[in-house]
Amino acid sequence: MVNEKVIVRFYRFQNRLREKTAGLGVKNAEIDENALLEAEAALGKMSEDYPDWVSNLIVKLQEQHGRCVDTPEMRRDCFEEINHIAHDMKGQGGTFGYPLISTFSDSLYGFTLVRDNITDNQIELIKSHLDSMRAVIRGRISGSGGDIGVKLTDGLNEAIAKYEE
Amino acid sequence: MSSYDFSRVTVLLAEDSPFIRSLLINSLKVLGVGTVHAVEDGGSAIEFLKKVKNDPMQVGCQQVDIVMSNWDMHPIDGMMFLRWVRRHKDSPDRFVPFLMITGYTEPERIIQAREMGISEMLAKPFTVKNIGEKLISVIERPRQFVHNSSYFGPDRRRRKVPPKSQDARVLTDKSEGVEIIRG
Repeated sequence: MVNEKVIVRFYRFQNRLREKTAGLGVKNAEIDENALLEAEAALGKMSEDYPDWVSNLIVKLQEQHGRCVDTPEMRRDCFEEINHIAHDMKGQGGTFGYPLISTFSDSLYGFTLVRDNITDNQIELIKSHLDSMRAVIRGRISGSGGDIGVKLTDGLNEAIAKYEE
Repeated sequence: MSSYDFSRVTVLLAEDSPFIRSLLINSLKVLGVGTVHAVEDGGSAIEFLKKVKNDPMQVGCQQVDIVMSNWDMHPIDGMMFLRWVRRHKDSPDRFVPFLMITGYTEPERIIQAREMGISEMLAKPFTVKNIGEKLISVIERPRQFVHNSSYFGPDRRRRKVPPKSQDARVLTDKSEGVEIIRG
């Protein structure tokens, strides 16, 4: 800072963005309800393509899993890549009506944060997650998935209990 | 109650996932945002903003009103991009509202983003309503910017909570060492 005596500067600007969007002197404004509905509808339309999109990501995860099995010395890199893809997927599923994909991806993300001494059991855990995700997409299990959703979640939890060390 | 008119608003969006990028562009457009410049990572976003500063005619953009950026991108992620926006001399507007989009939920990540000067955080997975709420928050609840020896960005205090001890907050607008800049 130029002035040595100044410890802190507070910048207080006129709210030009509000003037630009709500207008001068307008007290209360809201987002147009119809625009919101239209945007929701557009999202719904995009959601139809989501299962295909996510299937491609699951294929990528499967390839990385295969590498973990075939080339144990590459596990660290593979886990990094799986972790990255899982992070992406956990952020998408819920938006497009597939919260189970977000839940399973979140779990996969957590299990692939490890980078050292990756065991065969941990590789099996990856496979369990992929199986669960594939079942969600194959069955187009949107929302919570009802009984099937519970079964899939329980199944994955059982696998986690079995393989987790 | 009247509706917001976003037609004169320009948003710069940095998102590497084509699917999410397309969703965000669509949603912003349908909500009425006039211009959305979308790029694939933080590096391209920085290049774009440099052009806004140095050659606005070339990119057809005089000013960016809101930045929206994913955090997890390669090679330049959202946090590095935010750092550039807030601190670099080539940044065209160090005060621009910066909305970080992220699937990270770990508390230390949230703190990291706050310390780097985010304006708002949009948590993934999000809904269209969430996008709208964040836009409103950026418009209706901007915070003063604070510049001291260790921080530059929107005031990290959102609420006026009285200090827990006498030493906790000794500076007021009238204290020595405090400078208020209005504009």
